[in-house]
Amino acid sequence: MSARPPDTADGGGAPTGRAPGTTAAPESRPPAPGKDSPGRGRQKPVLEFFERFGLVFLLIGEIVFFSLFAKTGKIFFTWDNFQTIAANQSVLSIAALASILPLIGGSFDLSVGAVALLADIVCAAATSRHHAPLAAAILLAIAFGAVVGLANGVVVAKAGVNALITTLGTFYVIIGVLIWYTNGNAIVTGIPNALTDINVQHWLGVPRIAVFMIIAAVVIWYLLAHTPWGRYLHAVGSNPVAARLVGVSVDRVVVISFVLSGTFAAVAGVLELAHSGSAFPNVNNASGLLLPALASAFLGATTIRPGRFNVLGTLVGVFFIAVAVQGLTLAGVSDWVQYVLYGATLVVAVAVSSVIGRQRGRV
Amino acid sequence: MQPGHDAPGGRGAVLRVRGLSKSFPGTQALDDVGLEVYRGQIHALVGANGSGKSTFVKILAGVYHPDAGEIQVGDRVFGSGLTATGARAAGLHFVHQDLAVFPDMSVADNLAIGRGFETDRGQRIRWRAVRRRTAEVLDHFQIQARPDTPVGALRPSDRTMVAIARALQDQEGQHAGVLVLDEPTTSLPEADVRLLLDALRRYAAAGQSMLFISHHIDEVLSFAHCVSVLRDGRKVGTLDAEGLTHDRVVQLITGRTAGQLYPEIPESAGRSALLEVRNLAVGPVQDVSFDVAAGEVVGVAGLVGSGASEIVRAVFGAQTPRAGSITVDGKRLIPGRPRSAIAGGVSYVPGERSRAGFFDASVRENLSAPDVARYWRFLVMQGGRERRDARETMRRFGIRAVSEAQILTSLSGGNQQKVVLGRWLRRQPKVLLLEEPTQGVDVGARADIYQLIRQAADDGTAVLLVTVDFEEIAGICDRALVVNEGAIVAELRKPNLDDETLTGLAFSGLEKGAAR
Repeated sequence: MSARPPDTADGGGAPTGRAPGTTAAPESRPPAPGKDSPGRGRQKPVLEFFERFGLVFLLIGEIVFFSLFAKTGKIFFTWDNFQTIAANQSVLSIAALASILPLIGGSFDLSVGAVALLADIVCAAATSRHHAPLAAAILLAIAFGAVVGLANGVVVAKAGVNALITTLGTFYVIIGVLIWYTNGNAIVTGIPNALTDINVQHWLGVPRIAVFMIIAAVVIWYLLAHTPWGRYLHAVGSNPVAARLVGVSVDRVVVISFVLSGTFAAVAGVLELAHSGSAFPNVNNASGLLLPALASAFLGATTIRPGRFNVLGTLVGVFFIAVAVQGLTLAGVSDWVQYVLYGATLVVAVAVSSVIGRQRGRV
Repeated sequence: MQPGHDAPGGRGAVLRVRGLSKSFPGTQALDDVGLEVYRGQIHALVGANGSGKSTFVKILAGVYHPDAGEIQVGDRVFGSGLTATGARAAGLHFVHQDLAVFPDMSVADNLAIGRGFETDRGQRIRWRAVRRRTAEVLDHFQIQARPDTPVGALRPSDRTMVAIARALQDQEGQHAGVLVLDEPTTSLPEADVRLLLDALRRYAAAGQSMLFISHHIDEVLSFAHCVSVLRDGRKVGTLDAEGLTHDRVVQLITGRTAGQLYPEIPESAGRSALLEVRNLAVGPVQDVSFDVAAGEVVGVAGLVGSGASEIVRAVFGAQTPRAGSITVDGKRLIPGRPRSAIAGGVSYVPGERSRAGFFDASVRENLSAPDVARYWRFLVMQGGRERRDARETMRRFGIRAVSEAQILTSLSGGNQQKVVLGRWLRRQPKVLLLEEPTQGVDVGARADIYQLIRQAADDGTAVLLVTVDFEEIAGICDRALVVNEGAIVAELRKPNLDDETLTGLAFSGLEKGAAR
């Protein structure tokens, strides 16, 4: 990174005791080789363009391929199919966007899937068992998500427990409590139609559930790009030591990122209830959301703004994986492929991000 | 070992260095340096910051390869081909200031990690053998510890002794090699220093040769048999420690006579203090008080480990002081809270730029990191205004980048530092704290940075600067505080401010400063 004088253990200072007036100091601090041209970061605009939009082109390529491919083309290239993909990916999209909030600040949140399931069941139980008004049930579910996020954030930021460990623990605690609360039974009846309708109704040809997803994405984009908090979060993720030294309340920024992550994960959970019409407390339902969410988040960090988790990139990541899965499914490839795809994408995406990171660090 | 070199107390050189030279781009770190360490001899190596001591040790350790010269260890001669493993095999044993012990692990583990555990055929560790062997080593080196005790629970001098024992255990009983001690006492309390030196004296009496690198001249004089002095990469001479005085050593280190070292401290100027530090205690620093006036550039000069940089960090709150008060323009800061300092008008440019100074983000984002909230109007970030301000700052402080959107890590060190500086200077701080402001900065940018610092002072900022580069302090400061062993031992003002004097004072002990 920064060039260091060779004699750092001795302080790298200028030799002392020489005749006054001689410029000794510059000698012991050699100029950084190769770092003089200010244009280093911007030398290859073509390459940069492909780095930024590579995944977008791959997504378009996928769509073109499955549209022309004989086995899938007829069904794939239909408005219905695109509506289905958009509707099916809305929940995952919001969960993925929820997970990037702590990730930008440098912390993993493995609890997004479990929090979504928590909100799913809270909302279902409130309406079905306790006959609460839908609006109140939704607010309650989201409040649960925010509280779990707050707990995660406080443990991570104040107690200094590793975020991966904290949220992995939260994940299992939530699942356990949900199984206790429901006796392991799904809640399938009494879900208000007003909620499940958004899964089938459209606005201007766009599934309503996808509209909610777009609204959530815009809100998260706004928080990240247009509030001081978003900028502080990026600073904390980039260099927490420097962030503290420029006066950022590192702890508070991190806690808020977890609270928002829990909140949006809960929104995803409520939409999941709308999407599936039932709530089933099961580890698979939580982890089934987690890995694709993380894979999309890391995939998203390789595009649009390479090296940074970003909203648009995350959505591109979600749909890149979704189109691949949908296309392969239509082609008759069986279910297991998607798991391979999620796992491989996660590793490849992280590998590509770290290569991008190294390149940026190198210059 | 050749027979002739083996006799205890014999005059055979165990380590002979001849004509060692090493240059780095733009600097001659070592120029034809030679020295000899004899059997059972404690040979001290002293010199100012940047005199070449560290380069010398690193060449011995095989970290750097010399441009010229040869190193003879026992009967083996190395040219530029000395490697880290070669040095160790030849019998050069290093104990650095950072001991590299594992504090949570037992003494036995710490010793065994250096040489390998005793195991049986199934690779199972034979704990009994390990413990017995550890007990032997502890006994041999007369360390008051049990094999099972965690090293972190030992007293500081014993920790150092364990590190020494670990380095020397391979050559037990033979004393064939040379023990190289790089500032071993710097982080030790007074009483522990004495214990450690007593133990080392015993080893020497038993025939162990040592090369002892230290800042502490009194320690060197009471402990070593002879002293080699480096200045500007050249050896000034090797002298018998017997009959050598403190002042004489300082004179050799600085190249000036001792009489000139203690100038009168002029009365303080009539300007009002903007920064007042009272009874500050942090790290090695005990009870330090000083003022910095508006428009004044004050340097804090001290050797590594003296506490100079801790003072500056504590003023900002980057390090929490044990005691004392810091007042800026009449308002007291909350100790250990950078936010409080920033709110009070204090700015801080940290020493390790990439670790603590900037973000892997654009110039614009780096510039507005401390005060991005002021661009948040009507719930929207005013990107246009932020970009305009960033461009204006770049122009004002001469930051050379393609645009304000360029990633900071792709800029040169000098431009990076100007961004970090500009981030604070555009807020017109009351107090500007600088740590090693020109580290890793090229020549052209250095002049610019000095200009910016002076300009800030002229605009009424109180500047406090710490650097190990005393010539820099002499060059840009109005006044310098010399810190030695955690206390301010002297205060110099222009025109009596020069780097030779600073070096001399930084080396003299507390009692010297007090006796001024």
